[in-house]
Amino acid sequence: MNDEHFRGEIRDWLAANLPPELIGAGGPGREHELVAERLAWEQTLGAAGWIGLGWPEADGGRGLPWRQQAIFYEEYARAGGPGRVGHIGEQLLGPTLLMFGTAEQKQRFLPGILAGTTMWCQGYSEPEAGSDLAGLRTRATLGSDGRWRVDGQKVWTSFAQFADWCFVLARTDFSAERHHGLSCLLVPMRQAGVDVRPIVQLTGTSEFNEVFFSGAVADGMIGSPGDGWRVAMGTLGVERGVAVYGQQLGFEREFSAVLALARAAGRLPDPDVAARLADAWIRLKVLRFTTEAAVVPSVAKLLWSSWHQRLGELAVDVMGPSATLAGASYELTDEQRLFLFTRADTIYGGSNEIQRNIIAERGLGLPRELPRLRGQSRAG
Amino acid sequence: MSYLDYGDSPEQAELRSGLRSFLARADGGADTWKRLAGELGVCGLGVPSAFGGAGAGLGEVAVAVAEAGRVLLPLPVLSTALAGVVLGSAGVADARTGEVLAGIADGSVRAAFVFGDEVGAADGRVSGVVEHVLDGAAADVFLVRAGTGLYLVRAGNAGVTVTVCETLDQTRSQAVVSFRDAVGVATGADAGRAEELLRVMLAVESAAAAEYCLDVTVEYLKTRRQFGRALGTFQALRHRCADLAVEVASAVATARAALARPEELAVLGPLAKKYCADVFWHVAAEMIQLHGGIGFTWEHESHRYLKRAKTTQLLHGSPAELRHLVAQRAGLYEELCPVTTTGVTEFSWRATLSGNACSCPA
Repeated sequence: MNDEHFRGEIRDWLAANLPPELIGAGGPGREHELVAERLAWEQTLGAAGWIGLGWPEADGGRGLPWRQQAIFYEEYARAGGPGRVGHIGEQLLGPTLLMFGTAEQKQRFLPGILAGTTMWCQGYSEPEAGSDLAGLRTRATLGSDGRWRVDGQKVWTSFAQFADWCFVLARTDFSAERHHGLSCLLVPMRQAGVDVRPIVQLTGTSEFNEVFFSGAVADGMIGSPGDGWRVAMGTLGVERGVAVYGQQLGFEREFSAVLALARAAGRLPDPDVAARLADAWIRLKVLRFTTEAAVVPSVAKLLWSSWHQRLGELAVDVMGPSATLAGASYELTDEQRLFLFTRADTIYGGSNEIQRNIIAERGLGLPRELPRLRGQSRAG
Repeated sequence: MSYLDYGDSPEQAELRSGLRSFLARADGGADTWKRLAGELGVCGLGVPSAFGGAGAGLGEVAVAVAEAGRVLLPLPVLSTALAGVVLGSAGVADARTGEVLAGIADGSVRAAFVFGDEVGAADGRVSGVVEHVLDGAAADVFLVRAGTGLYLVRAGNAGVTVTVCETLDQTRSQAVVSFRDAVGVATGADAGRAEELLRVMLAVESAAAAEYCLDVTVEYLKTRRQFGRALGTFQALRHRCADLAVEVASAVATARAALARPEELAVLGPLAKKYCADVFWHVAAEMIQLHGGIGFTWEHESHRYLKRAKTTQLLHGSPAELRHLVAQRAGLYEELCPVTTTGVTEFSWRATLSGNACSCPA
């Protein structure tokens, strides 16, 4: 299909189907909003074939090229489509299954993701295993009934409270060290052995959760026992890509909102504000060009996370003294939420410090910091 | 795994590697010019084949500018090759400019651009004085902005005086050029477009030179040992290099985007020049710091990059001036256009070359 025709099709569909109350909902710091409506929206998207655009047609996707996927994200952002709840299934678990799953697993799990009916969450990080993921302590043991049972604690698990399933990285071989002996298990969330506790973030809201597993029964494993590290690195590799592109279109909306606020508040004559706005606009363009140039993911992550954080700082500086007040029940403005939530951007998905390590080592070929311990990971 | 991508076509990649290996052995003197501009025809890359050039595009010219800039080649490749593009464009390349174009293509003519606000033209005569004319010392022809027009003035014409300057950056000449009723040919080229193309080429050169500075610095950190280990094993230094890599990769991408989007030249010209020159400055400054004492010596190459970076930053629009120009041309300070089909307010990016006068802040 011709690109412009495709764009028109998306635009028309969104205009006809996107409920007005969902426009702009569920963004950073607003992930608690309209959850039931957004879960229903996932099914609307799925039924219309807007999930899995880049997946192979043989696996139920539409096999569209990167360019057309980008057009979808562009139009979605332009229309103010709400923050996705199903993106962990679509963008992390799905591609991981496409890479490592059996035919039976693909048949079993992909249709629910494509239909927007099955929600997933990712169980990787732990309290003692953040940047150093290979240090994780969650264990899984094989029972006499042939099923794996999981014990341990995961943390920073996005959307765990809405998820039907979790893909959990756990140690299955206790004699192996570090990244050896890990496995990736598929665990149903709605069972007695799973306890989800929301983490109240500094925004006062909860996107992230702690998840406690106590004898939770797994119902499948991606790859074989001991393949967990390979699978996890595969997931982290697909974690970026075209979705980053879509995210930047959201950045343009946020920038425009900050600019509009500065204009409305009469702050444009302030040379400091004007210069920072111009710099933000210039760097947004640079970010776009750099992403399009297909640089290594760590370069893009450092650029966008720092840019976004600075925009949040600019937003509250533009607000001035009124930024120091909160509404009833700690209700915050979009600018305040942007300011607060962007503190997480430089931490999640591999902190900026980890990204710098990756660039230094793999991009620039600088020697490792210290001689590697036996079995020590190169975790990102 | 490299941290950046030039985005070259196969032909451009071949041109780049050929130039890089040639320039690695070149001394930058008269013989280098003879081979580079004469035999290899590098300055004629953008000159139409009807005038003896290669008839290639801006992308190929940018490869030559980048490779010359990478080694701070003290020859006027940037200005002469760009003059070939500007004079070689449709409606400009004709009998009046043909002789100069042929000279650029065969390496016998060196060009420089003269953008000053004090120059006027009347009845085919150009008058005015302009300082800081880059590559002006050895130029055979000047491309001079007068009003919105671009005039071709030969350096040997009556009424043209060229005063060569001592420069902080000794790898690129500057001159004060004075015209007093000097005969000039109205080329038909848009002077505003030519100035933005010059800015884009300065961006290309800055990104390439910054990449070189980082390359050299990283190699040094791999070999220099202190405290019994390579300096490059210290995280404080590794992380600074990683940040520089992010800057260099984004500068290369930005310069490339400016080349690829001629319809956005009014905004991307100043944007790319500002961003890439700022990056170049930062990387060159870090190059000295990360080399330690050796980086402060005359013998080491660092200072030449530092001086080129600062020179590029300050000429053809300072960072603050260009930031203002970008904001103004993008319409940041002026109008917000609501697009209401979905209730979403969207910003409309306005870009014109005219209407520079305003009372905007910053």
